[in-house]
Amino acid sequence: MVAAGGQHLITYFQAIVIGLLQGVTELFPISSLGHAVILPKLLGWNLSQDKPYFLAFLVATHLATALVLFLFFLPEWVRILKGLGRSLRDRQIGHDDPDARLAWLLVVGTIPAGLIGLLFEHKLRSLFASPTAAAAFLAVNGLILFAAEYLRRRAPGAEARARELERGAEADTSAEAEKRLATLGFREAVGVGTAQAAALFPGISRAGVTIGGGLFVGLTHEDAARYAFLLATPIIGAAALLKLPELVGHNGDGVRGQALVGALSAGVAAWFAIKFLMRYFQTNTLTPFAVYCLFAGLAALLVFVF
Amino acid sequence: MRNDRLLAALAALLGLVLIAIGVTYIALTEHDIPSFFPGHVSHPASHHHIKHGIAAILLGLACFAFAWFRTGPREAPAAPPG
Repeated sequence: MVAAGGQHLITYFQAIVIGLLQGVTELFPISSLGHAVILPKLLGWNLSQDKPYFLAFLVATHLATALVLFLFFLPEWVRILKGLGRSLRDRQIGHDDPDARLAWLLVVGTIPAGLIGLLFEHKLRSLFASPTAAAAFLAVNGLILFAAEYLRRRAPGAEARARELERGAEADTSAEAEKRLATLGFREAVGVGTAQAAALFPGISRAGVTIGGGLFVGLTHEDAARYAFLLATPIIGAAALLKLPELVGHNGDGVRGQALVGALSAGVAAWFAIKFLMRYFQTNTLTPFAVYCLFAGLAALLVFVF
Repeated sequence: MRNDRLLAALAALLGLVLIAIGVTYIALTEHDIPSFFPGHVSHPASHHHIKHGIAAILLGLACFAFAWFRTGPREAPAAPPG
């Protein structure tokens, strides 16, 4: 779209930068929404983030991220969906069917966050969408990640599960990882899933709180990340699909080209981000991200306040 | 067993009610929905509370899923090893 002054509302360069940023920060535990609010302000870009054209643009980048997440874990999703079908057919979740159990863990984990998002997303976003609030929440996200490492395996029974899972982790295929995830209880799944709703505050990371929740209940970093990404796929995808009419309707007029470029950038960035993170969490912790969020949040807060 | 059936019947009934509420939210404007529904406005309006509707339908489906599994066959507990 070309504004009255002859300038594009979003340039193609901005679309690429925001797309790359979205693809990486949606999956890294550092908050995509927080960065989407803070970075343009730091770069001096005059983007009206609450305007329909920008929301339409973001729909495309989120859809691309969700699609890449789905494709990256496609073999897992095929097994999970088959398990879901089997359980519905048999009207029970078999003891020897980890795919079915994982499917229902994802369902019960998605429902509370989905409901909270549906009912409060708009209110929370309009209340806290200022760069200053996002910077403060980014610092809080750093503290949450520190706490997640400190509170690792502190949930009742988490230590025992962690020891049990470590013994069974030799044959480490994705199917084996699914079996480990399927040992979660339904209450734990609801707790970890509900934590996703914290990401409605710009600056709090969905991946961060869900990985933290997974660590709390005794999962390894790698399994917690896998669970967080599986849990994120339906909710990011559904949120994007729900808002798709904004992109295809008149709100998307003039930004569809930029949205396509932004979506491609987000998709490529998301693919490499997942590959990196799944390898990273085999041996590493959330601590570097906690340090980054705390200092980046505080630095941005100082810039915006003074 | 009797309690299971009762619980399942209540869940199915609640599911039906929630889905009806969801459809009402989606089909009617915020002015036309019953006045006791959250989100009702007294002035004429054309806005539909789509998100409220989806939330209610999701909850309704969750109730149906609960009822479906509650009335399914009970799997025998796994035999102890050895």
